[in-house]
Amino acid sequence: MLHTKIVDLKKEKILTSNAEKFIKDSKFGASIYFLGTVRNTNVNKKVTGITYDTHDEMVIKSFKDIYNEADKELNIKDKAVFIEHAKGHLKLGEISIIIAVACKHRDQAYVLSRFIIEEIKKRSPIWKKEYYEDQKSEWLIGKKLNK
Amino acid sequence: MKIKLELFGASRDFSDKDHLEFNLKHKASIDDLRNEIIKYIDQKFQGNENFIKVIKSSAFCSEDNEIISDNYKITKDQKIGIIPPIGGG
Repeated sequence: MLHTKIVDLKKEKILTSNAEKFIKDSKFGASIYFLGTVRNTNVNKKVTGITYDTHDEMVIKSFKDIYNEADKELNIKDKAVFIEHAKGHLKLGEISIIIAVACKHRDQAYVLSRFIIEEIKKRSPIWKKEYYEDQKSEWLIGKKLNK
Repeated sequence: MKIKLELFGASRDFSDKDHLEFNLKHKASIDDLRNEIIKYIDQKFQGNENFIKVIKSSAFCSEDNEIISDNYKITKDQKIGIIPPIGGG
């Protein structure tokens, strides 16, 4: 069971309550909520906020691919996975990504949650532009996507 | 052929709009498109080195949201996305 969404911050908020509603089920004994939030420093620079940009269709496709690969690689068949990523500007401490997973057992939930965030970092077309205290800003250099 | 180049991430700084338009010859490759974008940067931004670095390190995606190789041949008017190195999540 999978839910994926890019949350356009101009239109709505990214909410953990939506994740809770989606994954809650008495057949699961372990739930993990991973939240990515805006940190106040990066490489010794004081950060004031981040703008996230996404290629929406490719990001959603990558989320679905990662979920399907988790089926094969981790062999966790019975699970609920909720993935939402923000698009737009966030202030310090605000949530950029929610990955909520529910599985029968805790070892599965920990492994699955970690697998999903690491794969997203590697292959989902998401970019961040950091804003600093000195009023400057820059797009962070990341990893090239290959065919 | 008319190419609508959709801008993402660092490439959004190339224009106030969310895309650029290029006219390319039939069966032009992604490499040809890359060179056209560099020409545009040379003219519009006096060869801004950071922008050119972004172009050289970017991948490109087709209308059906697949990453395409540098020798992919463009045979019709279409939208292509420029995908700078990723770093989100």
